[in-house]
Amino acid sequence: MSSDPKIEGYKFKPGYSGMAADTASDQTMFKGVHWGKAMMWIFLLSDTFIFSCFLISYMKGRASTPVEWPNPSEVFALNAFGVPVPLLLIAIMTFVLITSSGTMALAVKYGYERNRKMCGWLIIATALGGLTFVGMQVFEWSKLIHEGVRPWENPFGAAQFGSFFFMITGFHGTHVSIGVIFLFIYAYKTFAGHYDEGKRGWFTTMKGDYVEIEILGLYWHFVDLVWVFIFAFFYLW
Amino acid sequence: MDEIKKEQTTTHKIGIYLWIWGLLFVLSFFSYMVDWYQFQGLLRWSLILFFMFLKAGLIMAFFMHLYWERYALVNVLLWPMTAIACFVGLMVAEGKYTLFSRLFYFFVGGG
Amino acid sequence: MSEDFNENKTIQAQSSETISGGETGVAPDIDYVRPAELSDQDLYHGHTFITKWVFCQDAKVIGVQYFLLATFTGIIGLILSWLMRLQLGFPGAAGFMTAEHYYQFVTMHGMIMVVYFLTALFLGGFGNYLIPLMTGARDMVFPYVNMVSFWMFFVAVGVLLASFFVPGGPTGSGWTLYPPQAILEGTPGSGMGIILMCVSLILFVAGFTMGGLNYLITILQARTRGMTLMRMPLTVWGIFTATVLAMLAFPALLVSALMMTLDKVLATSFFMPTILKAGEVLEYGGGTPILFQHLFWFFGHPEVYIVALPAFGIVSDLISVHSRKNIFGYRMMVWAIVVIGALSFFVWAHHMYVSGMHPWFGFFFATTTLIIAVPTAMKVYNWILTLWRGNIRMNTVMLWCLGFIVTFVNGGITGIFLGNVTVDVPLSDTYFVVAHFHMVMGIAPLMVIMGAVYHWFPLVAGRMLSEKLGKWHFWITFLGAYSIYFPMHYLGFIGVPRRYFEMYDSPYITSAVGMNEFISTAAFIVGAAQFILIYNIVVSLKMGKPAGKNPWQANSLEWLTPSVPPEHGNWGDKLPVVYRWPYDFSVPGAKEDFIPQTTPPSEVVETEVEKT
Ligand code: HEM
Ligand SMILES: [Cu+2]
Repeated sequence: MSSDPKIEGYKFKPGYSGMAADTASDQTMFKGVHWGKAMMWIFLLSDTFIFSCFLISYMKGRASTPVEWPNPSEVFALNAFGVPVPLLLIAIMTFVLITSSGTMALAVKYGYERNRKMCGWLIIATALGGLTFVGMQVFEWSKLIHEGVRPWENPFGAAQFGSFFFMITGFHGTHVSIGVIFLFIYAYKTFAGHYDEGKRGWFTTMKGDYVEIEILGLYWHFVDLVWVFIFAFFYLW
Repeated sequence: MDEIKKEQTTTHKIGIYLWIWGLLFVLSFFSYMVDWYQFQGLLRWSLILFFMFLKAGLIMAFFMHLYWERYALVNVLLWPMTAIACFVGLMVAEGKYTLFSRLFYFFVGGG
Repeated sequence: MSEDFNENKTIQAQSSETISGGETGVAPDIDYVRPAELSDQDLYHGHTFITKWVFCQDAKVIGVQYFLLATFTGIIGLILSWLMRLQLGFPGAAGFMTAEHYYQFVTMHGMIMVVYFLTALFLGGFGNYLIPLMTGARDMVFPYVNMVSFWMFFVAVGVLLASFFVPGGPTGSGWTLYPPQAILEGTPGSGMGIILMCVSLILFVAGFTMGGLNYLITILQARTRGMTLMRMPLTVWGIFTATVLAMLAFPALLVSALMMTLDKVLATSFFMPTILKAGEVLEYGGGTPILFQHLFWFFGHPEVYIVALPAFGIVSDLISVHSRKNIFGYRMMVWAIVVIGALSFFVWAHHMYVSGMHPWFGFFFATTTLIIAVPTAMKVYNWILTLWRGNIRMNTVMLWCLGFIVTFVNGGITGIFLGNVTVDVPLSDTYFVVAHFHMVMGIAPLMVIMGAVYHWFPLVAGRMLSEKLGKWHFWITFLGAYSIYFPMHYLGFIGVPRRYFEMYDSPYITSAVGMNEFISTAAFIVGAAQFILIYNIVVSLKMGKPAGKNPWQANSLEWLTPSVPPEHGNWGDKLPVVYRWPYDFSVPGAKEDFIPQTTPPSEVVETEVEKT
């Protein structure tokens, strides 16, 4: 978001001619993009390939099994007031994660406005959303395990259902959990004023800056983004 | 000109975030409804994909600010997806073929 | 702590002196270079032995660490290959060798050489040492992460080697680790061995990602003033593109390793079909083994270019410097590297022609595979045209480069054989494939590594390697390697299968017996010859001829540091400013036959330099 700052002696051009000019210029290719932010983007690109490989494997596994694939809409139904509501928990989890994505986006905005309090509290809110999500996932896992779903078998149909379910949601959940840990750390750093004072990080000589909130935000939105795909392919398909 | 652009990018109006936020809720709700009403077949799949890509696009464009980034970054991030698209397409075919050969050799008994 | 940092210094522009001073008397603005976009990088300077040499954040030290550890694992791989050749050439000569041992050695040899030796050496070793120096950066952008990257690699190697000592030994499933056999009883090392292999690979990928992000962002975002992408040495381009491939291909390896670990540990059936064993149905069922192959080769084919592209880049620079000519078609070379890199994600299933995949895939993958041959061939022509009428210095470095071209062309041509489905089907899984990939991925990149060692040793150590030993080393290696791999093509044609422990009395193979003895003998000699290099390095470190500054009269930045060997921070207090590409050799009208990248245009107005 710190894009297009003023760069002495460099004239920004828009669109594709701008892309050509940026690429052909010296020093940096992504003009004005913080090193850490560029690094996070490339990391997320790599991570996208990881999740893509997971989902592609899932697709290939599901497409090639002659055994009945369990109907997710029934497997993930939840009894509310005595009636089974399909995908109820998953829907709530989706809304929680989107909510946390929204608070994160606002945290970034307030960070850049150097509104320390607002930024910090919004990060906390995001972290709490993440925690809720993980908590509900734990609930969902234990429910399924209780019903006899295991990574190696399940009572509803193809064994691969359980395998892919636990692996993919587990990998995503790990991402969420790591994100939550970092959210709390960054909330602390925000409140402590590290970004206002430009205090150096713990493992780097770089000075703290609110751009770090944006970098963290990229990761968090990515986690949400992946969930969009998992929701569509695993639960709805 | 650079100054103006900077103003635009670093502090977006809060309204835009709230808008996107709302849209994401609505779209998630719609995709949930796809299951609720138990649409089946092609309609179901195309609706799922449509809402999915729309949500993903909104998150990337606005929450992750790609809409405001320069094309150099955007293109670097999006072009590699062609490799994934190719992988997906081929694995669709491969999955069908595996299923076909399983049914053919194990169940129909074509061997 | 604060005295550990040199506080932000604004970069002193060399060009601004010329502008204001105007000492040269030429129109000042032809030397204009845009001012620095970023303030100078702060570095953490270690003071103790541990922070200076062990847990060190200096990319140059990390590069040397990577180099040494990769070489160490490479030597283990070499010893394994000796054991294999002993068995193949003289069956039964190694008394302890069983078929199981043989499979384990094949597997570990392959995996070590491809991943832990070549990849780590090119990207971790040369990448770390050369990227900041050649792009004019002070260090990698995140030195701490870079340091962790090396130590993850260290742990990954430790886990890999630990599998030699666990019950059942290391995995013996071939470096491709195909399930179901990789994790089924009856395959050596199907217990702890394969698990440790998967864990080690996952660690390697995680560690590499940390390093790779650093290389990419350093190249993209931390170049010095005047250093455009099209003024970077091809070495940097090769390493850069290879790193991009690694960032996008390793995920597939990570996923397949993870899923296989789950199949083994939790008895999931991702890759495991229903299996009948001695009349009994195993607990597995319903998985698709071919999915593993797709994932593996989605990683595996880019992986071969991860090894090849840095070699392409480095050899281009070496050829240019030692024939005193600019590289022919620099831009074409860059685009060829990028196009090869991009295409390498669309060809993977040419390794699976005989796997039983979808029958139509053969058309698609044969086409894409043969298309890759076009940019590859362009590169070969350009190397030759660079040499054409050059002022060639026939030193050791040049010999290695020529050796590379020959072996690479040889391997590339057999690649085109194998890319065609109908030709590949009978040749698949024979020694012809072994010959192909050793020529193209074993020997050719190794030649480049050797050339690069002779070329850059003076930079790292400040002393020259012995030319005389170097020439011995080259000729024994080159002729020996040819003796090893050229006959293998023939073995493949007569149908000798690869990965076989012994041929027993197959009558059609009798002509292979003598040939196998010959190959094995050559293999022992070539392997032993590598110790000439180690001896040369050890001796030259102390007693080599002092190199002085820029002994090869090269143009690229790594030779232009204020102190040689370069110190932490690389450039003293002034970052260099770049005015040209690194290939201004033998420019008509110039006083000397090379113009370093930092020479401003005003100093060479009378010459016909390329506009870059
Ligand atoms: C002209 C370009 C090339 C073509 C058309 C080509 C084609 C092929 C084909 C079709 C195979 C599969 C053979 C089989 O298993 O039946 C193969 C194997 C292999 N190629 Fe290439 N190749 C080319 C260049 C390279 C390069 C540059 C490298 C590495 C630097 C390389 C490394 C390998 C390796 C390691 C294998 C064997 C993998 C295994 O089965 O264990 N190839 N190549
Ligand atoms: Cu290949």
